[in-house]
Amino acid sequence: MTYTISAPPHKKTKLDFRSLNISKIIALLPLCLAAIYFFGVPALGILIACVVAAVVTEFGIQTMFKQKVTIADGHAALTGLVLALLIPASAPLWVAVFAGFFAIAIGKHVFGGIGSYIFNPALVAWVFTRSAWTSYMTPLSIPHVGQFSDFILENGAGLMVDVSPILLVGGLYLIYKRYIDWRIPLAFFATMIVLPQTLLFISGVAALVHEGVLNPLMYMSQFFTFLEMSPELPYEMIGIVFFGILFIATDTSTSPVTKKGRIIYGITCGVLVFIYGHFGNFVDGTLYGIFLANCVASFIEINTMPASFGTKTLPQKVYRGVMDKIPASLKFEVMNNE
Amino acid sequence: MEIKTLDKLPEKIIIPLRQHRGAVCEPLVKKGDRVLIGQKIGESKEYYSSAVHSSVCGEVLAIEEAAHPDGNKAMSIVIQPEDSNEAVEFSPCKDLKPEKLVELIKESGIVEHYGMPTHTVLKPKGKKIDTVLINATSSEWIGGTFKTPKEYASHVMDALKLLMKTAGAKKGAIVLRTDDKESINAFEGIEVDKKKLRVAPLVGGRKIGYYFKEQNSDIVVLSQKRIYGKKILNFFTYNVTGRKVNVGCDPTDVGVAVCGIKSAKAFYDAVHEGKPYYETVVSIEGVSDRMEYLIVRIGTPFKDVIDSYGYTGDIGKIIANGVRTGVAQYTDQVPVTKGTTRISLQKPEEIIRDESIECIHCARCVDVCPVELIPSRLAVMADQGRFDECRQIYIENCIECGDCAAVCPSKIHILQLIRYAKDAIEMAYEDLPSKESSNLKLGCCGGE
Repeated sequence: MTYTISAPPHKKTKLDFRSLNISKIIALLPLCLAAIYFFGVPALGILIACVVAAVVTEFGIQTMFKQKVTIADGHAALTGLVLALLIPASAPLWVAVFAGFFAIAIGKHVFGGIGSYIFNPALVAWVFTRSAWTSYMTPLSIPHVGQFSDFILENGAGLMVDVSPILLVGGLYLIYKRYIDWRIPLAFFATMIVLPQTLLFISGVAALVHEGVLNPLMYMSQFFTFLEMSPELPYEMIGIVFFGILFIATDTSTSPVTKKGRIIYGITCGVLVFIYGHFGNFVDGTLYGIFLANCVASFIEINTMPASFGTKTLPQKVYRGVMDKIPASLKFEVMNNE
Repeated sequence: MEIKTLDKLPEKIIIPLRQHRGAVCEPLVKKGDRVLIGQKIGESKEYYSSAVHSSVCGEVLAIEEAAHPDGNKAMSIVIQPEDSNEAVEFSPCKDLKPEKLVELIKESGIVEHYGMPTHTVLKPKGKKIDTVLINATSSEWIGGTFKTPKEYASHVMDALKLLMKTAGAKKGAIVLRTDDKESINAFEGIEVDKKKLRVAPLVGGRKIGYYFKEQNSDIVVLSQKRIYGKKILNFFTYNVTGRKVNVGCDPTDVGVAVCGIKSAKAFYDAVHEGKPYYETVVSIEGVSDRMEYLIVRIGTPFKDVIDSYGYTGDIGKIIANGVRTGVAQYTDQVPVTKGTTRISLQKPEEIIRDESIECIHCARCVDVCPVELIPSRLAVMADQGRFDECRQIYIENCIECGDCAAVCPSKIHILQLIRYAKDAIEMAYEDLPSKESSNLKLGCCGGE
């Protein structure tokens, strides 16, 4: 009788890279259907053109360079789908095809393929295409939330991704199933909420200073502005921001792997997106902000490497340093008698 | 806990002479000799060694190289059992001086489940032990007949006192698993030196010192989550006592002796009954729908353990010591040893046949790592032979639990790569000169 010999562990999770990608594509399908409903057949054309161009490009590159063909894992299709949702439905098909090619060729494989690229490939293609063909890539309108029904169907949508913020609820399911990490979306979203409220508070205080108010109670009452909704929030809570939070910022290759680093990265994304959105608009701001955050993701990672277990934190070091200098007669700390 | 006994005698018993770390035993018998149950059949004069005893009454067939559960071969004594319970005379130990107890541990062949002889843990050369821990969070199943759970608890408590006496330690603790309600109920309210103890959970930043003071006792009973892994001693010591064990050291360097509950029970039996360590409890996974527990004579082949359950299905893989970090066996004639804690069977369809792809930096391994490492980075550096960079990010802290490889969606062999790097680092530093330069800080942390 013969038995199999292999290295431990002998039991592993069923989850693999392909199922991760397929689940993300499935989470985006409702949004695609809503976009086709809203924009019509041109949207369907953009979606198909982008996905097919991405998959064909990956197949071509890997065949040409005699690498193992990996289009079956779904990552190229996912990249094409994400990119298609960022292209206006009014753009010609050749722009979508070129963007798909650029995403896979330059954004992914020039950097070495899966796990090696620094920027999200869809963002790389979007930034290039937006710069190269600004007229085709300009959305017809900038959405904002005027009423609750805009969460269901955004009539001011300029990109396919803006059509229906509520259909991005699949991203929450991905977090629940741990297909994507919760730290980045939470830090990103919290920063996007806190920054406009803080800006409202600061501007209120500045206005009081400008008027020469000396009553401290007037300044303290400015804290109530945190309970009001900043006028920027309706322009922030749009589909592309949620899309960036749930599907672009959480791309695993472009975000840090350390726990603390992921929180800092989420905050960085939030700050950059808010700055760009505040002075420009949140549609471009989301994509340019995350693109810039990708630049510093590696820096965040190497500076948040975890220490060895048992390493004292800074407050513990300070406390221990102070306590060790106190003479024994003045010690109130319980002595270690071991 | 229901634990059965394997009564059926196998066709032959294979007792390896190396069931511990340290010096291999010399055989004391030869082919054709008749041995009795409990008779010492292997011994070494080295301190860092442990004796080996026969678990059956029978005739020695051969002394030859045979399979060993760690995947290699070892010199073993093959015995054909007789249907007899004839045993050497077991005499309880009357003299309880520490030196006598150390000798008794060595003569009884008591070793930890990870291979260290118990007397070298309690009385390490050149080191002083002040705290003894009984680790009942892993390898926690012991045999024996107890009328009540309290009797089991008092047995273990007496064993702890014996261990503390042997080590010359003033303080001791029994560490249970938080989800082992049966044991926690048995130990709740146990009396030690006329004090009623409570099972104290190690939560947050609390360590053992807190409970020594809170319960005003030199002996405490603790509970914590189970730590899976092959090299958990340093991490376990830190979790319980807060003492950081430096790289290359073991808990005895910081004054802590960590014993398993199996060796504690074997020590108790050796003192009170004079019975050496020749049988052990093994859990068997895969022969039925639940985990089975069996008292097995050391040297019983795996095949006989499996057959005792009437298992008739196909076997794709036999794993010794658990599916996470255990070793897959190439034969079912491998014997149960002192370090065998579990036998796992896998059907042919359960065998993993994944293919590795590149790391996608999903950080799942970082999230599951119990000692806060970055396993994906360690695996890449190990694969590229950058062992010094592995050391800089604390590869020695790895307890080899295998969780990182189990959750990896790219199916990278992270555990294998980390072990490869650790072995390479160990070999690179093992021949440092004892005194080369006054600038070098040598000792157990040489090369740091």
